[in-house]
Amino acid sequence: MKKTAVLAIALIFHCAVIHAQENDEILRPVNSVYTIEAGSSHITDTYLTPIKYSGWHIGLNYERNQAMKFSPENWVMQMRVDLSADHDNNLVGNKDMWYGELDFSWGMMRRWKLPYKGFSAGVGGSASLSGGCIYLDRGGNNPASAKGSVTLNATGYVAWNGRIAGLPVTLRYQPVIPVVGAFFAPDYGELYYEIYLGNHSGLAHCSWWGNYFVMDNALSADLHFGSTSLRLGYTGKIYSTKINHTVTNIFTHAAVVGISGEWISLNPRKGLSKEARIISATY
Amino acid sequence: MKRYFIIAILTALSLASCHKVEEYANNPRGNFEALWSIIDTHYCFLLDKNLDWNEVHDRYSQRISDNMSQQQLFDLLSEMTAELKDGHTNLSSPFATSYYRKWWSDYPQNYNARLIQQYYFNFNYRSIGAFDYEYLKENIGYIHYSSFESGLGDGNIDLILNYFNKAKALIFDVRDNGGGNLTNVEDLVNRFISQRILAGYIIHKNGPGHNDFDKPFAYYIDPVGGGHLAWEKPVIVLTNRSTFSAANNFVSIMKNLPNVTVIGSTTGGGSGMPFNSELPNGWNIRFSACSILDCNRQSTESGVEPSEGCAVDMDPQAALDGHDTILDFAINYAGNLSI
Repeated sequence: MKKTAVLAIALIFHCAVIHAQENDEILRPVNSVYTIEAGSSHITDTYLTPIKYSGWHIGLNYERNQAMKFSPENWVMQMRVDLSADHDNNLVGNKDMWYGELDFSWGMMRRWKLPYKGFSAGVGGSASLSGGCIYLDRGGNNPASAKGSVTLNATGYVAWNGRIAGLPVTLRYQPVIPVVGAFFAPDYGELYYEIYLGNHSGLAHCSWWGNYFVMDNALSADLHFGSTSLRLGYTGKIYSTKINHTVTNIFTHAAVVGISGEWISLNPRKGLSKEARIISATY
Repeated sequence: MKRYFIIAILTALSLASCHKVEEYANNPRGNFEALWSIIDTHYCFLLDKNLDWNEVHDRYSQRISDNMSQQQLFDLLSEMTAELKDGHTNLSSPFATSYYRKWWSDYPQNYNARLIQQYYFNFNYRSIGAFDYEYLKENIGYIHYSSFESGLGDGNIDLILNYFNKAKALIFDVRDNGGGNLTNVEDLVNRFISQRILAGYIIHKNGPGHNDFDKPFAYYIDPVGGGHLAWEKPVIVLTNRSTFSAANNFVSIMKNLPNVTVIGSTTGGGSGMPFNSELPNGWNIRFSACSILDCNRQSTESGVEPSEGCAVDMDPQAALDGHDTILDFAINYAGNLSI
């Protein structure tokens, strides 16, 4: 038994070494994108108020894409961190609502080159962790509505690489939709004070499209100026939940601007092999 | 197979859509309907108070007109919310906030701060935050706590209790205390217990129906611990009708402690934890949304009665002579306790 285990471990190491040697000739640059977004926000949260609030939305985003080591031609990894803040007012403008959210997601997509020049597409999934809070500046026992979720998402993209007026451009559309997961919500008339006292029952709920519908739409144009690209785009998010007879709707539309670039980590003692092949995650 | 998969996806997507929230117009009718609906779906005492809220709708709906002024609308909506007979229900507009006052105005006040300050302490007493305290000449400690909005740190409470270390009993006066934060209730009660106690139950609504309630959640208070001082001698709590909300909760918990006697008049109630909501015109509505029961699962919304044989009113004639007959009763009561 012991002998078998040692042999198995040795075999795994052997395979790993061979795999690494095979991949020595492939370089997988990391594509990093830093963007800011600004636009409009519309929020209704019936735990706080039945009135719709509207205002502005801003956000900071980091996106990292890289071809996967095990099959760089076909699979890509995407990691995202999004931080956003919204400020809204009610219809008559006498109350302020704030919303802050932090999202983290990691996922993979299978990609294909489409039979049309410059077109490619991908389909995959991701896992997300997000948390946030809506705060209504009026005091009382229900001034805030906390948000939190863990979800498994479906995602995909369609991209086109080409030239517009002689400038290399990448156009890309990517939606993300959570399919299943869990999210936090207090009961209909439950106080956060009661939760603080220890009543934690019924706070976590399984999510599906009937009670938790979220859709993130991102449309971007990367204008390639040398090694750095300018990203211009649009992002729109629909967040609509209904649980415990409480509805939360958050809709944002925002223009996006940022920079992106690809970088490769090289060993200065080894240099770059002549046979090295670069497989980009995005272009 | 592929067809079934597509049908399943389409079915799921058709179920998944942005969830609707009923919207009301910002006119007299819309604001009236919004207010009525908020109370109908969130107020927690409609059944307890045996109030036919649909009948209230019909009665007030007839009085709504499109051309009524903001002031007229405010007066009408305030009148409607007064039907709840709840001190925690207030409608707030830019020009006024409505109050239902009969929960205390229909009763004798039973408290006069100046009378005690002048005739019992000759204006020599200590004050910190919402606490006024001093020894009574009968070697009894006296504390008046005017608001649970204002708490004290553990160290401050230690100093006050230590100040009374030679007193044979403590009179804790919460007359005219209109409430505040429940955490301050916990911070005081934990000085008067030596072991964990069942403080009461919280029962919140779990749906819009008048009878949609979750099961009661028991909550507890632990002794202060951490080297802080606890009071083990007798305590007398003084109450009047203006002892309300968090102060009412404090009395409901203290009354069930073995070394505590409640003297005075029935408290003002207010056991519903208030939520806030709003109307399309921006007016704020506060209302009781979540009920707190005492440790016997009894509602204290209509008040906590004094301990048996300890219901006392202030004698207005004696007050003219500088006597608070509720405080005098408490002093005599403390004097008769075997300590």
